[in-house]
Amino acid sequence: MKISFTKTTPPRWATRLLRWYCAPHRIEEVEGDLREEFEYQLQQAGLRKAQLDYIRSVFGFIRPFALKRKSTKHNPLLPMNLFKHYFTVAIRQVWRHKAFSAINVIGLTLGITCCMMIYLWVTDEYSVDNFHTKSDRLYNIYMTTVSKTGVQGMYNIPRTYDENKLYVLFEDAKDIIPEVEGIAFYHAGYAMPWGKPETFKVGDKVHKLEGSRANQDFFDMFSFPVIAGDPATALKDISSIAISRKMSDLFFENPQTAIGQSIRYENKLDFQITAVFEDLTPHTSLKFDFLANWAAHVAFKMDWASNTVNGTLLLAPGADIATVTEKLNRHASSKLPKLDGVTTTFGLQPYRDQYLQANFTNGKPSGGRIEYVRIFSGVAVFILVIACVNFMNLATARSIKRAKEVGVRKVVGSTRWYLIAQFFGEALLLSFFGLILSLILLQLLLPLFNNYTGKQIVAPLGDLTLWTKLIGLTLITGIVAGSYPALFLSSLKPVKVLKGVVSFTPSAIWMRKGMAIFQFGLSILLLVATMVMSEQTRFMQHVNLGYNKENLVYFSMEGELVTYDKYLAFKEAALKRPGVLMVDRSSEAPHSMGFLVDEDDGIAETNKADDSAIKWEGKQKGDKVGFKPTSVGFDFVGLMNLEIIEGRNFSRDHATDSADAFLVNEQAVKEMGMKDPIGKWVSAWQKRGHIIGVLKNYNTNSLHERIRPLIVDVKEYENFGVIMIRTEPGKTKQALASLEKLYKEFNPNYPFVFRFVNEDYNKMYKSEQMMTKLSNTFAALAITISCLGLLGLIMFSAEQRTREIGIRKALGATVSNIVRLLSKDSITIILVSFCIAAPVAAYLMGEWLNGFAYKIGLSWWIFASAGLAALSVALLTISFQAIQSARANPVDSLRSE
Amino acid sequence: VASHLISKNGNNSFLMKRVSLGEFEEVVLLIVAMLDGSAYGVNITHEIIQQTNRSVRLNQVHASLHRLEEKGMIVSKMGDPKPERGGRRKRIFTITAYGQQTLYDIQAVRTNLWNLLPSSMKPSAT
Repeated sequence: MKISFTKTTPPRWATRLLRWYCAPHRIEEVEGDLREEFEYQLQQAGLRKAQLDYIRSVFGFIRPFALKRKSTKHNPLLPMNLFKHYFTVAIRQVWRHKAFSAINVIGLTLGITCCMMIYLWVTDEYSVDNFHTKSDRLYNIYMTTVSKTGVQGMYNIPRTYDENKLYVLFEDAKDIIPEVEGIAFYHAGYAMPWGKPETFKVGDKVHKLEGSRANQDFFDMFSFPVIAGDPATALKDISSIAISRKMSDLFFENPQTAIGQSIRYENKLDFQITAVFEDLTPHTSLKFDFLANWAAHVAFKMDWASNTVNGTLLLAPGADIATVTEKLNRHASSKLPKLDGVTTTFGLQPYRDQYLQANFTNGKPSGGRIEYVRIFSGVAVFILVIACVNFMNLATARSIKRAKEVGVRKVVGSTRWYLIAQFFGEALLLSFFGLILSLILLQLLLPLFNNYTGKQIVAPLGDLTLWTKLIGLTLITGIVAGSYPALFLSSLKPVKVLKGVVSFTPSAIWMRKGMAIFQFGLSILLLVATMVMSEQTRFMQHVNLGYNKENLVYFSMEGELVTYDKYLAFKEAALKRPGVLMVDRSSEAPHSMGFLVDEDDGIAETNKADDSAIKWEGKQKGDKVGFKPTSVGFDFVGLMNLEIIEGRNFSRDHATDSADAFLVNEQAVKEMGMKDPIGKWVSAWQKRGHIIGVLKNYNTNSLHERIRPLIVDVKEYENFGVIMIRTEPGKTKQALASLEKLYKEFNPNYPFVFRFVNEDYNKMYKSEQMMTKLSNTFAALAITISCLGLLGLIMFSAEQRTREIGIRKALGATVSNIVRLLSKDSITIILVSFCIAAPVAAYLMGEWLNGFAYKIGLSWWIFASAGLAALSVALLTISFQAIQSARANPVDSLRSE
Repeated sequence: VASHLISKNGNNSFLMKRVSLGEFEEVVLLIVAMLDGSAYGVNITHEIIQQTNRSVRLNQVHASLHRLEEKGMIVSKMGDPKPERGGRRKRIFTITAYGQQTLYDIQAVRTNLWNLLPSSMKPSAT
């Protein structure tokens, strides 16, 4: 039975085909008829014929009447054909009022572009340090010290010295705290104050590269892809080193051949290459071209670039942070020496937050780059809002023109909802148009933007989430921009409108003016910010630092030059070269001295815990003064152009100077509480001597830092630091060329890599410079968009008042009278917005300037010029339209009715 | 073509110009009238084959019915489900007054033309 049943049915695929193509409202009758015919044929002519016939008919039905779907049911709320109509009307509106549409679209395009760029930048900022697969379990250890001088926080793991052996706190954390699965120590070899690119040599190839030291857990905890060698054992051995692909390419044929090769470090130590890792992504805040193993570092076989060690923990899944922190602190207090009045505690910060929140307040990480991220996100929103305000303002202003349309629609039977939908639709149409334009603009501007911010952002246009966000953004923009006109216009009463008595209520006029005031307020705010930032940046770059940073070249002291007699020979030879004025040495590059001792930062400077490195005559027990100690050569003061306000300079004529003489600065005298400092004794570590002179205060670091007490002594024989060369102005190039040759003779194993002090000094303000550039751009954008809006308003009001202007002219008004009449409103708007924006700007910029120890004052002229700039740009914009309408022949405007 | 002036539900009140009827459509319309309220796709097809000896296919008939309905000559409603159709309903067609009028008009034009033929061409009265 079953078999015969299946045999006598029509071919199933044909039925399926039919069901697929046939319109739903026709399928039943067609399928039924076909089935009935099939049964009929089955009896008349047999199965084969019936099936063939069926198939033929199925294909025969592929015709428009069977394919065509019934048009969808009329939706009572949003009818489709009305939509089509609205679309047409919207397109016509856009087309007819080209100027208004252009203003709207340009404004929205700029706003959306700006938003997209900032969005890309912010996403990029957030992605830094966030790519590690174990990212959610990585925590940085930070140290908080509380002492009499205050609370201080920093990323550091303290060490204790025991018979020349270094114990790094927490190095046994894995054994003591069960939640800890790994601990990575990291020390950047290029970090301030003594860091520098380090020299590597293979055969006759010599290169300088910046890298770090790390322990065995490093590659396990962080996801830096290793392309050759075993990541697990890469940093295990004291002679092991991992290098980047770039570094491998510099020395070897390919990464595979590099493994096992020997490489010479600083001409004093040989490493075996155990791994080659992929060049780092721009999204990591740890930057290194090589990683030397930790054992070599703590055995003091390598140079220490700073006094800090970074520590990162890998916690077990689900570990409780508070518990781990408590255990760390308990362990630390048992290991660290007790200091009087100083408590040192440790905290954990998610590793991925360290890039954006690396500043410490009250000993806890808070703020940092995240502030820039927040500021710029805010700016993006502001600019978009300004663009939306344009749209609202123009649409409202034009509503008189469209009031009749609204009236007629309402009379014909349109409900309020239809009208709201219509106006929203128009706004959405324009904002999507703006989106398309801004995508094009983005592609054009992105290289420039990357150049500004030093990033490598590409628009991920293949990314679906980006598109979702873009479309979401555009929808929101359209809805915000369209909201006021939609609600306002749809509320008009048809009877009044058609009678022709549309007038704005005072509240509508106020709304319009209020929005313009808001726009210009924001623009003026941004202008002030730009001016303050660029002034501050210029101030920092051009202020007299107390020394002459021009024509000053420095390079690190290394290789053969660390030996005293070689250095002296080099100095002597260099001084004979043309263009070289002076040569001397210093333990740190003079523009960014970071070595600070006796500050209550939890770092022990001496072997005895309660001791201080710097002592002076009259020092009470417990007196604490953070000093910057530096050792220099005899010519340092002259070379730097420092001023001595009391006493004398170091001199070779005084036999005792290299053993006994100290120079201090005014700040040191003040903080030590000394009167008549000359001749008083001071000591730095084991070296004891007397103050022979007082230096006038000068800046030893960026202007974010206040001038610190400074203590200087002569150590011509010191084997580290930098060699500084003062060149003759205008002859620097020539001098450097000949110095390079000389350097090659003295130090054949090292390349001659020199730096200019003034360039490096300016580089310390990179983020301020970036901020200035960006805020420049945004201020320009904001004022452009605002002016576009103003232009739209003035165009409209000129159009409205065509007849008034005609009559005034006919009665004898001059062109300038009319221009004044038209500009009066705009000037009021700008004055009011200035009054609102100025105090806000003053407050915000005051806060920003607090981040600098040396800053400009917020002088009145900054505000005045921002206001004037806004006013003049606005006047320039509106004058175009105002003059045009003022010069129009009154005959034309009065003839029209 | 003025087809857009005719509403799709067979209401011909807006008709301003007679719509021409194709020869096949005329046959289908006549069969629908003949079957008098029981006409649907399959039996119309079978009737055409029987009465005219033409070979027609179901899809042609359906297309033609669709056009006639659009022109307002016939109206349709769904019938009852039938087991031989796999439980599916039929669409039953009936002729409208306009459809009848059109048939009469065509007939009248033909008769008139026949009458105008020379007597030698007329078929013998027997």
